[in-house]
Parts: sequence; structure tokens; C-alpha cells
Amino acid sequence: MGGIFAIGRRDFKAYFSSPRAPAIFWFFLLFMGFFFNNFVHMFMQMTTQAPMMGGQAPTLEQLLKALFNNVHFIFLLIVPAVTMTSFSEEKHSKSFRLLQTAPCTALEIVLGKFIASVGVMALVLAASFVYPLFTILNGNPDKVMILSSYIGLFLLMSSQLAFGLWVSSMTSNQFLAFLFTMFGLFLLLILNWMAPNLGGGGITETILKYMASSDHLDSFFKGTISVGHATYFIVFTGMFLFFTNVTLDSQRWR
Amino acid sequence: MIEVSGLSKSYGELNALSNVTFTVQKGQIVGFLGANGAGKSTTMDILCGCIGADSGTANIAGFDITDSPLEAKKRLGYLPDVAPLHLDMLVGDYIAYAAELRKIERSTIKARVDATIEKLTLGDVRNRVIGNLSKGFRQRVGLAQALVHDPEVLILDEPTEGLDPTQISEIRKLIRSLAGQHTILLSSHILSEVQNTCDKIIIINKGKIVTQGTYAELASSMESGHIYRLKVARNGLSALTTLGRLGLQNIKAAENAILGSSEDIEFEVNTATGDQILDDVAKAVIDGGFGLRGLTLKTKSLEDVFLQLTK
Repeated sequence: MGGIFAIGRRDFKAYFSSPRAPAIFWFFLLFMGFFFNNFVHMFMQMTTQAPMMGGQAPTLEQLLKALFNNVHFIFLLIVPAVTMTSFSEEKHSKSFRLLQTAPCTALEIVLGKFIASVGVMALVLAASFVYPLFTILNGNPDKVMILSSYIGLFLLMSSQLAFGLWVSSMTSNQFLAFLFTMFGLFLLLILNWMAPNLGGGGITETILKYMASSDHLDSFFKGTISVGHATYFIVFTGMFLFFTNVTLDSQRWR
Repeated sequence: MIEVSGLSKSYGELNALSNVTFTVQKGQIVGFLGANGAGKSTTMDILCGCIGADSGTANIAGFDITDSPLEAKKRLGYLPDVAPLHLDMLVGDYIAYAAELRKIERSTIKARVDATIEKLTLGDVRNRVIGNLSKGFRQRVGLAQALVHDPEVLILDEPTEGLDPTQISEIRKLIRSLAGQHTILLSSHILSEVQNTCDKIIIINKGKIVTQGTYAELASSMESGHIYRLKVARNGLSALTTLGRLGLQNIKAAENAILGSSEDIEFEVNTATGDQILDDVAKAVIDGGFGLRGLTLKTKSLEDVFLQLTK
């Protein structure tokens, strides 16, 4: 099992010794900052206008929820950028042979790549904390809600990475890996909006809605950590890591 | 040390390998020779567990590569046709990473990395980024990756491909120096390379093993007779006709000789006829007044053997 950490450490470092990780952080923080700025302005406006109109003033939790939903959206672009390098790049540059001929099991390789990408994305997630921190310093948001949201986002991110790794393991073309991962994750995001049209009610619609990531995430954004919704993400992650393992093993026999 | 038997592999319609069988003894350097696309890399990929065979077995240092791949891979170092380098890493870090992947005991990693760097004289570039190195150095780093765990079996796929003549001779010297400590299987499509470095040669063509043996064995098995080169002082053309009457085979003007001016003649003597015929040739030349200037045995190069076999 020592292979997992050797691979994980190397891959993690590789993200930072190339412009990849800096570009990802730059992109993420820039967009988040842009959205946050807009949200805060809107929040201020509504807070001053609401009493005059006789309505309810917006809460900080609503502001944060909008922000976290944006993280979900930006992850659609960032996660594929992280995972496309995991297998596709190594296969393309033929450096994957080093792993294939090393006495490491496919599972060690998969988990090694997984912890490296989780490490990078966890740092991205940590960097996003500047925005909730801003609200904590200037207001009094529900800290439990922030904590549960981050747990939810972490679980979401892990499941997205597992899916991305699976796609990446199937191609040596980075562009295709990026595109298909993004497409797949986007599908999961919009599945609960599409479900009524696709399922036409009944059991199909229920299943499709269950598969969508957004409903499960919403419960975390409300400040509750539910075992059922956490299980969805954990099973999803495990399943795609298993698929990746199977893909790697089967490639030996082609 | 390496035992391969009945290996077959096809890619769809294409039969890449059919019934490949050979063994490599401990400490030997064996050359795997074949034209491009003959099946060398496929065989090596199967031996290293990168791809699976359709049928047949491959055994590395007593461990079957399919049944116990981890044990087999621990005893194996592989340098593929494209060295599996991470161009963004430092040379020293990369070799240490390869050592870690090979599951060397943590406490001995540093010593192994140092020893490998010294062996391959990579000390000067230890702290440089691999992507900035020349092709020769990159190939040496690739070799370091295959050697760092001190494997019993070393498999090198065209190790001198794309290098300049100085680098080629350096790598060759290096490979020769590894003989004895490691069992080496080396592939090449350059004949002189295996002729110079290998104890035994396996020739593969269109996925089948054509022949195997030492260079001397191959050369002699391919010879139906010896080729001699005769040099006369004058009248080469009439010397040719005179020799014709002696019952020699393949009499011809030597390549690069212009008939009538330069007087080089090549002819082949059937081994069964014996060397007696040489006396007759010499006598005919002297009697004919052509002026004997030289009569030498021309050894068949591996190139001749190879071309003959893969025709």
C-alpha cells in the first residue's frame, strides 16, 4: 500500500510544479470573487430596500447558499481540469509505463491519483473560505451552516473527482477527458430539472432525481448533515473509483 | 531467468505474435533482433505485464507475470522504447520516486538512489529538471529508473534509439558493464548493436522467432560455404573466366570493384569441398599470370544472416 502515498505525493507536487494548479486557483478565486462581489452588492441593496417595501430582509445564510451553489457550478470546470491530467496526460507522454511495470496494484494507482487530486481540490476549497470569512467578520452567519456546507462541498468534490478519474483512465486524449467529464458532471447537476421531462412521473423520475447531485447538496446547505445524503456521495465516489480500477485492469488485456 | 513459452497475441485481425518461445539464462545479455513491427515491443510489453498475451506464459525469475505479477515486477527493470519520464521532475527526485514505486525498503532508498546515480554518472545533473536534459541524458535517467531497485532481470527496448554515435557507444559500454549482475534482454533493429553487446541473439520476424543462438552459431548455420575475396594484379575479367572452370560458386567481381580496372573478385566455396580448392585457385591465378595479391576469408556479417532470414 506504500505505492498509494508515493504516487499521491508525486502527483500532488506535479500540480504545483507546473502552471496547472496556479491557473486553477487563479480561475477559481477570480470567478468566486466576481460573484461574491455581485452578491454582496445585491444583498446590501435588498437589505436597505426590503423594510421600505414591507418585505423580509435577506439573511446571510441565503447569501452564502448562493455562493456555495456557485462553487458547485465552477467545479464543473475545475474538476475536469484536475482529473484530465491524472491518467490521460501520463498515457499520452508514455510515463504511465512506469506505473504499469512497477509492483503496484491497479487499486494503489487509482487511490494514489485520487488522493493527489483530492489534495489539490481540498486546497481550492480551503481558498474559497475567504468569502465566508468575510461574512463572519462583518456579520453573524450560522457557523453550523457554513461547516455543513463545506462538508457537503467536500463530498461533492470527491465524487466529481472519482468520476473524472474514471473518464481520464479511458482515454489518452486530455481534451476528450476534460470534455466528457464536464459533460457528465453537468448532466448530474441538471438531472433534477430534466427529470420531470425525461421520467414522465413515477418511479423513473424519482430515480433520476435521486441520481442528481444538487438535491443531496441542498440538504447540506440548509445546515443539516444527513447520513442519507452523505451516503449518496460516498457510494458515488466508491463506485467510480471501482470503475476506474476495473478500467485499468482491463486495459492490460487489450 | 526469463522463460517464455508459446506466447501469442493478436490485435484484431493482425497477428502480432505467434507461438514465441525462448529462454534467457542468468547473467546473459540476449539481443532481440527484428525489423520495425516484427513484434519486439509487443513481446517486451507482455514480459513486463503491461499488456496480456492471448495464450502462452512468461516467467520472470521464477514468477509468472500473469499469476504473480507483483513478485515478478519486483525483480524486473524495464526501459520501454519511449523512456517513461516525468519531464517536470528533478533527476534525483524522479529516481527516488521510481525506487519508492518498486517498494524498496524505505531506509535503503537513499543509498540505492546514490548508487544508481553514481553508476550511470548522473551526479552532475542530479538537481536538474529532466525536461531540460539532452536525449542521451534522458535515456540514462530512463535506465536509472529501470536499475534503481537492482533487478535480477533488465529489459531494454531499443536503448540506443535516436542517440548520437558517442552516446550510443556510452550506453553500449554501460549495458556491457551490467552483464553478469543482471540478466538482460535487449531489443534492437540495428544489427551491429546486438552483434557487439549480446551473448545470444534471437531473431524475430512477423511475430515468429526465426532463429536463435550465439552470433557464431547463427553465422555458421547460415553459411552454405565460405566467401573468399581474391585480389589479382591484372586482367581481372579473364581471371573470372579461368576461375569459372574450377567449379566455384557465385563468382563475381566484388562490390565496389569496376571490372577490368580494379581486380577484386569474390567467390564462395562450398564447405563440403574443403579448403583444397584454395590451392587450386592460387595455382590457377599464378599459372594464368594474373599476379596473386591477396586471398582472404570474408566473414559474413550479421546483416547478411539477418537479410537472408527475414527475406
